[in-house]
Order: sequence, then C-alpha cells, then structure tokens
Amino acid sequence: MTPLALLLTLSSLLFTLGLLAVLTRRNAILILVGIELMLNAANINFIAFWRYGPPDPDLTGPLFVLFSIAIAAAEAAVGLAIILMVFRHTRSTDLNRLDSLHG
Amino acid sequence: MTPLLILSPLILLAALGAVWLARPVHAALLLALALALTAVFYLTIGADFIGLVQFMVYVGAIAVLIVFSLLITRPGDEAEELARRPRSLVTGLACTLPVLAVLLYSVSRSGTAESGAADSPAFTLEQLGTALFTTHVPAVMAVGVLLTAVMIGAALFARGAHASSVSRYASCVTEATIKPPTLSDP
Repeated sequence: MTPLALLLTLSSLLFTLGLLAVLTRRNAILILVGIELMLNAANINFIAFWRYGPPDPDLTGPLFVLFSIAIAAAEAAVGLAIILMVFRHTRSTDLNRLDSLHG
Repeated sequence: MTPLLILSPLILLAALGAVWLARPVHAALLLALALALTAVFYLTIGADFIGLVQFMVYVGAIAVLIVFSLLITRPGDEAEELARRPRSLVTGLACTLPVLAVLLYSVSRSGTAESGAADSPAFTLEQLGTALFTTHVPAVMAVGVLLTAVMIGAALFARGAHASSVSRYASCVTEATIKPPTLSDP
C-alpha cells in the first residue's frame, strides 16, 4: 500500500467516525466534536495530496489547510457560542429536548 | 512511511474513543489527543508550520474551548445516552457504512495516480509567506473579515448574557430599595 493510499484510507475512516458521531450523539457539543473530526480528515487529505501527489510549487495544499484551520476555529467559536445561548434558555444541551418548534 | 504506520492506528483509536465514550469530557480529551497526533504526523511528514498551527489552533484553542463548554454546561445523563445507543447506532451505521464503502472504493481506484515524489522537499516559511501575501491576498483579507465578525459575534453573545444578568440584579435591587423599610425598632 502506498503512503498516499494509506493516508486517504485513514482520512476516509476519520471522516466516517466524525459522521457517525454527528448522527448518533445527542449532546450538541459532542456533535461539534464530530464536525471537528471531519474537518481534520479533510485537512489530512490536503496534506497527503501535497506531499505524495504530483509536485506542486504553488503550495496549494498547505495554504488550503491554513485557511481551513482558520475557518474551523471560527466555526467552533460560533457553534459553541450558539450552544451556550441555547443552554442558557433551556438548561440543557440535549438536542432531543429542543423541540419547541415541533408541529 | 514508518511514522505513518505508527501514527495512523493511534489517530484512529483516539478518534474512535472520541466517538464512542459516553462521558463527554473523556470524548473531548480524546478528540484533543487525535488532533495532537495529527499535528505530530504533520511534523514528521515535513509540513512543520502546518503542524505547529494545527497544534496551536486545534489543540490549544478548539479542544480547550470544547472542554470549557462541557464544564460550563450541565453534564448529560450517561445512563440515558447508553440506553439510547443501540438504536441510534444501527441508524448511524446504516447511514455511514455506505459512505465509507464509497470512499474506500474511490481510494482503491485512485491509488495508481501517485507520482512517486517521495523526496519532495518541505517548503520553507518564506515560500509560504510569499505565496500567502502575494497571490492569496484576497483570501487572507476575507479570512480576516471572517475572524473579526466571529470575534464581534462571540463578544455580543457574552455581553448579552452579562447585560441580562446585570438588569435582573438591578431590578432585584430596585425592588428591595423601593420597598419601605419596616420599623423594627420600638
């Protein structure tokens, strides 16, 4: 197995684990954990293609990872702020209890 | 290749723990471990700066933020989570296993595209900075605007909570002061 294939397999498994966390968890903060895992898997893909793919003098992979990390930080900050606002209203971060708009 | 073979199972185990453990703080700490191991992997592969940024932002900021949010919010009911797990796990696996199958199939199909540039040199920080601030200036400015907006938004959330608690406290105080003092002295 080549390093590129190994890294792509690793990131596929990481992405699947993150997706599983998003689909099965009920705590909103732990759903955010799953989203971070998925973003990390995407970053691993960028670095893998930069390192083991065709030569790239423009450094597209590392630059993309830098922007991706910045956006992930912004997303985590806003997400946690929203979760804390929800917690302040309902005293819970369990998404099953946020059903006041349920018809 | 050797650090890759050592680090990949460790990253996967840490991520599995982050997904599987019922206690939220343990899950968040294992997420931090998975992100830190990914940073170590970036360091071994030659992307030093990316590894350091990953360590600072992901482990130092995001993971710590998640742990603090778990400390602020009320801990969930673990027994309820464990009782709900088999049913949600069946649904989750039914949705994620096809995704995994498609991903692994495409990985196995695309494995021949490798150029074999195993000795491609690592970039210097100067190269990265030059690329960042010459060809990618609009993107850098957009990210700056985004981070400013996020900072203002988070500050507004925090300030809103502070203002509401202050006004509640102020209303209690005014009620107490408006009430005429009772004469207890004879």
